[in-house]
Amino acid sequence: MSTPPIGRRGFIKGALGVGALAVAGCAPGGSGQAVPSKLAAPSATASTVKGEITIWNRSGDLFKVFDAAIAKFKQAYPGVTVNHQQVDIDAKLANTLISGTDVPDGSFWDDAKIGGQAEHLYDLTDLIAPYQDKTAPYKISVNTVDGKIYGVPWDLDPGLLWYREDILEAAGVDIASIATYDDLLTAARTIKDKNPASKPIHLDKNPFLSQLWLEMLANQQGTSLTDASGKLRLDSPEYKKIFTWIEQATGDGLVTHAPYLEPADVNTLDNGQQVFVPWAIWWSFAPQNLLKATKGKWRAAPLPAWTPGGARSGVMGGSSFVIPAKAKNPELAWLLYEYLCFKDEGIQAVYGPNSVYPGGLSTSVPSYLPVLDPAKPLFQPIEALGGQDLWKVATEASSTIPAAAPIPWWWAQSVDYLGNNVQRLIEGKMSPDDVIADSAKKIQRNLVDRG
Amino acid sequence: MRVRTWLTPYVFVSPFFLVFAAFGVYPLIFALQLSFTRWRGAGEATFVGLGNYSYLLSSPDFWASLGNSAVMWVLIVPIQVVAGLGAAVLLANAKLRLRGFFRVAFIAPFVTPLVAMAQVWIVVFDTDYGLVNYLLNLVGLPDVGWLTSTTWSKPTLALLVLWKTTGFAIIILLAGLQAVPGQVYEAASLDGASRWRQFWSLTVPLVRRSIAFLVVVQTLAVFQMFAEPFVVTQGGPYGSTETAGLYLFDHISASDLGTGAANSFLLVLLVFGLSLGAVRLLRPKDGTS
Amino acid sequence: MKPGIGQYTILGVLAIGFLYPIWWAISSSFKPPNDIVTDPLTLSGPTLHNYQAMFADVPIGTGFANTALVLVVKGAMTMVFCPLAGYAFAKFTFPGKNVLFGVVLLTLMLPTLVLIIPLLLEMSALGWVNTYQALILPGSIDAFSIFWMRQTIAAIPTELIDAGRVDGASELGIFVRVVLPVIRPGLAALAVLTTMNVYNDFVWPVVAVNDTEHQTLQVVLSTLAQNITGNRIGSDFTTVWGELLAAGSVAMVPLLVIFVLLQRHFINGILAGSVKG
Repeated sequence: MSTPPIGRRGFIKGALGVGALAVAGCAPGGSGQAVPSKLAAPSATASTVKGEITIWNRSGDLFKVFDAAIAKFKQAYPGVTVNHQQVDIDAKLANTLISGTDVPDGSFWDDAKIGGQAEHLYDLTDLIAPYQDKTAPYKISVNTVDGKIYGVPWDLDPGLLWYREDILEAAGVDIASIATYDDLLTAARTIKDKNPASKPIHLDKNPFLSQLWLEMLANQQGTSLTDASGKLRLDSPEYKKIFTWIEQATGDGLVTHAPYLEPADVNTLDNGQQVFVPWAIWWSFAPQNLLKATKGKWRAAPLPAWTPGGARSGVMGGSSFVIPAKAKNPELAWLLYEYLCFKDEGIQAVYGPNSVYPGGLSTSVPSYLPVLDPAKPLFQPIEALGGQDLWKVATEASSTIPAAAPIPWWWAQSVDYLGNNVQRLIEGKMSPDDVIADSAKKIQRNLVDRG
Repeated sequence: MRVRTWLTPYVFVSPFFLVFAAFGVYPLIFALQLSFTRWRGAGEATFVGLGNYSYLLSSPDFWASLGNSAVMWVLIVPIQVVAGLGAAVLLANAKLRLRGFFRVAFIAPFVTPLVAMAQVWIVVFDTDYGLVNYLLNLVGLPDVGWLTSTTWSKPTLALLVLWKTTGFAIIILLAGLQAVPGQVYEAASLDGASRWRQFWSLTVPLVRRSIAFLVVVQTLAVFQMFAEPFVVTQGGPYGSTETAGLYLFDHISASDLGTGAANSFLLVLLVFGLSLGAVRLLRPKDGTS
Repeated sequence: MKPGIGQYTILGVLAIGFLYPIWWAISSSFKPPNDIVTDPLTLSGPTLHNYQAMFADVPIGTGFANTALVLVVKGAMTMVFCPLAGYAFAKFTFPGKNVLFGVVLLTLMLPTLVLIIPLLLEMSALGWVNTYQALILPGSIDAFSIFWMRQTIAAIPTELIDAGRVDGASELGIFVRVVLPVIRPGLAALAVLTTMNVYNDFVWPVVAVNDTEHQTLQVVLSTLAQNITGNRIGSDFTTVWGELLAAGSVAMVPLLVIFVLLQRHFINGILAGSVKG
């Protein structure tokens, strides 16, 4: 498929003294391809395509959901055999791409990891072109490297403001009045006045998640850690605004600082100490499965805006599908992902009611805009949210999400600096200016400059 | 009649070197070459000379990771040697009742899968709802942030390593104890030597070789350790459990392979020095090691 | 030397501390998955839910079979070749000995992490990804075991070996008749350590094997654990938690049982000829 890259080959040969081992002839991965492989649409029709593909997914409930959806794909494409495997993707995919052996035809992957491995992946720009305008701009931007799209955008994870409806009502706070983050502080103060034991706002204690959360608040303002050219843009009014807000919230004693859904978090969510959780849609899992005392009392609203009239949501997390450059049947993998991400039937198979989630998959929404119709829900109203129509809230919020930029390869590594400094800020050990200066300096030196 | 030929020792060690030639030489040379380049697993590797080495040596993070590992070493190795030796002596004693039970109890953690047991650690040492703090509260002591304070995170992680690998130390030391003949003890008892003195003057010198082995192997293990902090703390809080091995793992998991390779060779130099020191310190008086 | 009450107390407390985490993992595997997170210290259930889900989700039987296979082959190679090499390094003088032993120690000192990707490239060039030879051969005769055997054999008085030599036996004969019987305790320890190492090894098997057919036990566990050890994003980490503890229990219980049944034998083997008093 790809010609052995001369540069790499020479490099190994040099190491071995003119390739003493047969190994020297091995061309690692799809590496060094001067022109990344570009995938074109298959010409055969659904009933005539034939072949076998290997598809990797993470283990867990989501695997079962995809398994059921793939069964439906096979009905639509009877000639295609799908070998669907659950794999420790974080440990394996990058290594497999580098070695180039036994590479799957397609794999699920975190959006944050795609940018770093673009050279091993098919350029899907032409294939996605017909759907590009109809896909959430955020998802297109995180899957784009140097103007080319490398992932099939799967889920969109809008941030929402989760709140205790009963407590707000008792305190006389109208959720509709919380339109900005300042309003949120005001509401939190009102609640704390009524119940001094309350620390209404959840801020997360896990550095990785707190940085992911920070990016949600930045995305809401149309910015992100780096711009499209990879330049760091932490030192900006937008980030300053977020950090100052955190400082204010913690300074006023309005914050419960707890690790995501660990016992300390679950218990303070259940005992009324926490009232507001600004978090991605996947938090819906907590009231449905973990919270016993307050099940049915939580509701979701759009996030507050940073400026009056500003965007009411941002993205926190998310995944896409990639097709490795060494895939044996990339065209067929594309057909599967096109079906799962862009075809009504496939989207319905993933998000609609199924045997794993009887009410539908409600921990994210599709990123394909035509199906994000508030009036046409894919998943059902949720009992654990008092029968609230989460679909409507999430799709309305999603429509305001701004585009972002590709996520740099070192994003996860930067948690050691930025995520940790956000924790110091929450604990009152660091000022907003220091968070910016210290994180920017270290990320620049240890990550950006070493790219 | 076969006599000893010059070839014999080479034949005896050859299987190892055959396997090493097949599966060790290539990766080793590749890694060494990689350490002078910048390569992220794709595209052409760029030659950077000693750039990766000088970056690491001037990086506070690198030195912090060595410092963290050094503290872990102090918390693990001496305790393991002393406790392991004490346990081994007791478990070797035929007069100990419930001997089989104690043997199983101390060695059992060695067979447990780390990924599952790490979850136990996270739950049992939870600051607010863990068993350990619950017990502390019962006797009127305040909560301790076992995994959330930079003071306690290393001891808590060290405890996991001690819990899981002391069985290993016991096995090594038990094998060493078999060299201690019972008659030596009887002679010493007749002299009226106290049990404690017996232990220090007889047992310890005789198992010195095993102790040296244990110290070297555990020193290597502690400085290469990455799975324990990775699954329990991800290096936190605030990098306090970012060990040398985990710091190296981070480079490799980010596909920053050149830096990872350079980091590995710096670690080799370090552990080589440390092992040499340990062997010298524990060298028996007869000069063999 | 009869142990006193104080020693029993210390041993008893330690034993409880050592066994409690294992008890916690096994008992929690019988709890409803959400209770493991929200209610970690009380018992509820019991339910077989986690086990049913785990057996349906992951090929743990295959994992067992493969681990057993790797164990037998690797174990046999280790038990045959490492004592021989250890003997040569301990009791022979030959040109290049220090250099060669230095190479053995170097492989022990080099973090395996850095060799993973080059080794994987080599495996893929050989067409060995997803094969048993890839699981077994790299590191099959390992530096740790040679080092251990060298230390053990070095303790044998040289006169004993020379005494065996006078009747003109071959070197292999001396090794089998003189050296092996003396180092039986060391071999027993080596067998135990090798078993544990093969059983617990996961970094290389995870990377070298993609298909279900060749997964070892630890690969199966790592597939389950990824959602917990990686990012906890997404919806289903508590179900995975329950399944992970179930799989962990299934993985450790057989070895624990074998260990309980055989401890007398192999520990006595390790202690053969030791302190009696």
